[in-house]
Amino acid sequence: MPHESVHTVQSYEQELEQLRSLVNKMGGLVERQVAQAITAVVEHDEDAALDAPEMDPQVDELERETEALVIRLLALRAPMAGDLREVVVALKISGDLERIGDCAASIARRAMRNELLSCPISLTGLHSMGRLVQENLRRTIDAMDQRDPELARIVWHSDTAVDELYVSLFRELVTYMMEDPRNIGPCAHLLFIAKNLERIGDHATNISERVYYAVTGNILPIIRPRGKTFD
Amino acid sequence: MNKIIMDDTTGRDTILPALAIRNLNFWYGSNHALKEISLDFPVHQVTGMIGPSGCGKSTLLRILNRMYDLYPGQRATGEVLFDGRNILSPGLDVNVLRSRIGMVFQKPTPFPMSIYDNIAFGVRLHERLSRADMDQRVEGVLRRVALWNEVKDRLNASAAALSGGQQQRLCIARTIATRPEVILLDEPTSALDPISTARIEELLDELKQEFSIAIVTHNLQQAARCADRVAFFYMGELVEVDTADKMFTAPHAKRTQDYITGRFG
Repeated sequence: MPHESVHTVQSYEQELEQLRSLVNKMGGLVERQVAQAITAVVEHDEDAALDAPEMDPQVDELERETEALVIRLLALRAPMAGDLREVVVALKISGDLERIGDCAASIARRAMRNELLSCPISLTGLHSMGRLVQENLRRTIDAMDQRDPELARIVWHSDTAVDELYVSLFRELVTYMMEDPRNIGPCAHLLFIAKNLERIGDHATNISERVYYAVTGNILPIIRPRGKTFD
Repeated sequence: MNKIIMDDTTGRDTILPALAIRNLNFWYGSNHALKEISLDFPVHQVTGMIGPSGCGKSTLLRILNRMYDLYPGQRATGEVLFDGRNILSPGLDVNVLRSRIGMVFQKPTPFPMSIYDNIAFGVRLHERLSRADMDQRVEGVLRRVALWNEVKDRLNASAAALSGGQQQRLCIARTIATRPEVILLDEPTSALDPISTARIEELLDELKQEFSIAIVTHNLQQAARCADRVAFFYMGELVEVDTADKMFTAPHAKRTQDYITGRFG
């Protein structure tokens, strides 16, 4: 999230730049993890299924680096105003990104289960939900890179569609399970996958809220317009 | 000092500020140093004033107890309302004003006399107290600034023998000894070490229960720690005033943001 005017102390500016680059790198990695996880499930792609969990340690490492740099900046630079918001928000965003990475890895690990590979159930619903979550995440990360509060607010709103897809998918899967107990195994996995996608959507929403706060200094309302949920 | 009036617009009781500046302009000769300043100093609050050197914040402080009277070629227009009167009006008794609005400077300025007399000197100008009452007053204010235990056995020793931090606390004791309503502090800790600074800051927190305080500081962290409200000045203008919390997390004006994050100055 670059800033318009530059610090008098150049090394401070460089550290903030380094923080931005760490979070952006994390965002890029996590975006790829989610893309691979969805490809793994929808296309039964074994390489993609292995790829997503393999990226996890890298994401964790970046989160630690971000944390260390944030603590260093807080201790040594005592950031104020916009800088303070940016530094604190970077810490929170890195936490959300790390959780998104975990959700993606969890989805990818289920993708190659035998129950799913031989599953007679249509994955169309899951596919659309996956694409929508991926799109929202991409736009969230764009909003973060470009310090664009308006884009952040739009993405924040659009998670409603993800919630609604999750609810309808949930109903669909419950119906399959009631129809035939042999569906319970694969459907249980699909439910977990859907739940993980929904969680990714929520974390992306958190990130949008934080980007909005970092840039404007204003807090979006606590209650986000939501689609219907079961929990 | 709490004066409660009925606010005509809201119908609610409002506490009048300790000092209210209205459309204040100030000139050093032809140099227009303060431009159309309007600012309230709320009762029993610490109001911090920040801004780059030459922005007018110390000038403003000096106007509040008519210090500028001492110099020719300096003039002020507008109003500074204190207890219902404009303190800029020529008829005002400046000595009484300065006993009611006390000031503490950047460098400790103890008088070249004993610790006891440093405090008694100002009191004697305004009040006739018995020896016992004076002793009590001196002890009271020294306790108030947490200096009593350190100096009680050497009240007749020269104040110059005290450390910088102790001298500054003595100056604050001297200021509150005449029982002012407002205390003005011009960078009171810039010459002190961190522990002495922390003691003064702690003291401010306690003193505001009784006095209204205005503090000029270059140390933004100090303004953030001590002040309830913070005013940012730039080139003679009041750019923004808000709660310390708001000023240091999400200031409104870009100039404030740039200054407090260290992007110009």
